[in-house]
Amino acid sequence: MFNRDEKLQLKDAETIIGPSVKVKGEFNGQGDIIVEGVLEGSLKTGNRLRVGDKAKIKASIEAKDCSISGEVTGNLKIKGSLEVSATAKITGDIEVSSLSIEKGAQINGRISMGGVAPVENKVETKLA
Amino acid sequence: MHVYIYDSFVNQKKYQRALANVETRITDLGLNGKICRLGVMTKIQDIVTNEIRRGAKTIIAVGNDQTINQAINALVGSEVPLGIIPIGSEYNTVAECLGINSAEEACDILSARRIEKLDLGKANYFYFLTNASITGKGTVVEINQDYSIEILEKGSIHIVNLPPENKINLPARGKFDPQDGRLELYIKTEAKKNFFKKIIDQSFFTFEKLTINNSSYPLLIDNATKVDPPVEINIAKRALNVIVGKKRNF
Repeated sequence: MFNRDEKLQLKDAETIIGPSVKVKGEFNGQGDIIVEGVLEGSLKTGNRLRVGDKAKIKASIEAKDCSISGEVTGNLKIKGSLEVSATAKITGDIEVSSLSIEKGAQINGRISMGGVAPVENKVETKLA
Repeated sequence: MHVYIYDSFVNQKKYQRALANVETRITDLGLNGKICRLGVMTKIQDIVTNEIRRGAKTIIAVGNDQTINQAINALVGSEVPLGIIPIGSEYNTVAECLGINSAEEACDILSARRIEKLDLGKANYFYFLTNASITGKGTVVEINQDYSIEILEKGSIHIVNLPPENKINLPARGKFDPQDGRLELYIKTEAKKNFFKKIIDQSFFTFEKLTINNSSYPLLIDNATKVDPPVEINIAKRALNVIVGKKRNF
């Protein structure tokens, strides 16, 4: 999990997609990104991504590190660590190096870690 | 040689005292120069072009945001620096953004002559130094032709180059830099949570080129000039030399 000090703060972010904003298209960034609103298409960043609990994303995601509290539909490719909070709902395959899932989170999709090919069978995870 | 361009409104009686004080201070500091007065038949563009041809070393706009915006558009790409003397207490946000808070202070700043080369925003054919704003209602923004932004609540959209020091509560203040070759898009919306509490939320993007579309409302640049959408906004890197306040940090 992210430590309190490592958590992505508003002041550190290069891009903030607020709760009243809907973004459609191919979003490419290099800095930290915070998503609190709606995003459709694809999202790529070479840095950290934070998905807030009210956020709704229908997009494939590529990031260095990521924390998810909202709803994500699409495949995730995370180079570093992925933190999934209790309020998160993920529908899609996940490719990640290190993963932490909080009790209550919902993940529907395949998970592959450390560069190993994903297992054939669809894994349905619901921690409650 | 200093060339002072007086806007027509400074001839009003209520500004005479302020103007007299400015002229006295300019004389004391040894900054005397030629005075050109704007009128119905005189355009700032013509004055600036002619005076630069005659060897003007500094163009000083004496007036408000409107005067400064016109001077900026006339001086784009020139090495001759722009000085500013704000007159009146309203509509002087551009001067405030540059750390010039009063006419008296402006004279001392001219004397200190701290010149900075700053980026300008370009909205269609009009340049702006500080920011451009438009209502969020019915506005669609497209950034770098890659993605579009739709605003779902009532609010306002600001394209910021040089942030006003205290006017709007901007996030991540350190990232607004008029010398970084990029512009910032800031969207502020208000969603009423309940009767007593109003939640303000904000979105923030960095870009080099965007288009704004709104069929009903114009884009206001530098708090002075209205531009009708569709507007294409991009950046003119290091396009203007400006004399700025001693304490203004970029």
